[in-house]
Amino acid sequence: MQTPSATLAELPVLLRGESKPIKRWIEELAVARLRTAVFIIVAGTGAFGAAMGLWRAPQQAVFTAIKFPLIIFLTTLGTALLNGMVAPLLGLNLRFAQSLAAVLMSFTIFALILGSFSPLMLFLVWNTPPYEGGASTVAYRFVQLAQVVIIAFAGVAANIRLLQLLGSLSGSKAVAKKILFAWLTANLFLGSQLCWILRPLIGSPALPTQFLRADAFKGNFYETVFDAVGTIFSTKQPPKNNYE
Amino acid sequence: MSDELTKPTPPPLQTAETYQPVRGVIPTVEAILREPGRIAATLRQHGQGRLVLGMLAVAAFCSVVYGIVVGTFSGGQQLWAAPVKIAIGMLISGLICLPSLYIFSCLSGSPVRLAQVFGFLAGLLALSAILLIGFAPVAWVFSGSTQSVAGMGALHLLFWIVATWFGLRFLNGSLKQFAPRSSDGVRVWAIIFILVQLQMMTALRPLLGTADTFLPQEKRFFLAHWIECLEKPKSQK
Repeated sequence: MQTPSATLAELPVLLRGESKPIKRWIEELAVARLRTAVFIIVAGTGAFGAAMGLWRAPQQAVFTAIKFPLIIFLTTLGTALLNGMVAPLLGLNLRFAQSLAAVLMSFTIFALILGSFSPLMLFLVWNTPPYEGGASTVAYRFVQLAQVVIIAFAGVAANIRLLQLLGSLSGSKAVAKKILFAWLTANLFLGSQLCWILRPLIGSPALPTQFLRADAFKGNFYETVFDAVGTIFSTKQPPKNNYE
Repeated sequence: MSDELTKPTPPPLQTAETYQPVRGVIPTVEAILREPGRIAATLRQHGQGRLVLGMLAVAAFCSVVYGIVVGTFSGGQQLWAAPVKIAIGMLISGLICLPSLYIFSCLSGSPVRLAQVFGFLAGLLALSAILLIGFAPVAWVFSGSTQSVAGMGALHLLFWIVATWFGLRFLNGSLKQFAPRSSDGVRVWAIIFILVQLQMMTALRPLLGTADTFLPQEKRFFLAHWIECLEKPKSQK
């Protein structure tokens, strides 16, 4: 039986993307490994989330440290059924629990990268001028940009490893690409909406610190994007937006 | 003359099978400069905590000595403030960047352990700080003969760039012993490390010149700080 410390020692193998042991893990489905994955996702994304929210307020740091892992887990669970069904349809005979484990492993890599960047994020936030009423939002935009770059890098790295794993499990690059595309589409579709509902993550400088906005369940991410595109082509005055 | 004679080449890296382990502070300093491969090969073995601690101590000591030279520019409180800030800043920058270096190494397919990465990072800091000591007499001469904070800052920055470049070369060479699939991750990390160190210098300002408080009251990015220093024509000791 795997002990928690043994599974922690396996994390570098996951980062290196060594196909043979990772393939074996997916086939074995050890509970200890899944527990470690959950722990790493909570710790890694929680630490990065705390650093993200700290620029706005210490309370926002606590909120974002809770919400960031929550987004990951809700996305994983919300798409688990669909992902489990799509994989066999596209040529990879994975069981439901195995597809869930593969997605969790990919998010573990994502969380490890984000966790390793959280001291850097904290340093960046510490060096960014705090928000003061009426001040410019340049610093806010800069913090946002840095976070987007780090999260994008972590996402790309995690998905490259997931593609390699799917390739090794299916024995076909084409099948692996199709499954990854399908899983990514589902995850991004739901994940974007969950981010929208659970906003603010950084916290707009112009709005109060809250766990959820009063209009959290009003409208959705895609309607907002659609409206934003619409205003570009409209002659009317655009509504005031709070991207957060 | 053949190209082999004119082209400077770094000392060869040793394999774990051929090296003699490094023990003691002076042999560590010598090995970092003359046989970096020996340090890397020693660190590949288990239980090299003393070597790592030795390198961190060398890094701290050398940066304190260089900091005193930096402090001589303004004198007074800066004689102790600058060394403290430089040593602490250097070590904290290393700690901030350590997790991402380990993750980048693993993503590159390198079977390196966290303790070994910590050792290589300590080697980077030690080598950079030792090289700064080499520049210290030059810096001291200029400190006594110029009044311009911007000019002196540019000189220290130049010395720091040279020292850091050699430190990064040591790190890259050491990590290459683990046969990673690519060095791109370490190159990206090097940029992050340089940016963190530059920002750390700004966050702990003033290292040159004087101020009413030990640490700055206003947060600023390093480029904005440099531009402000250059725009102040009479920014002096």
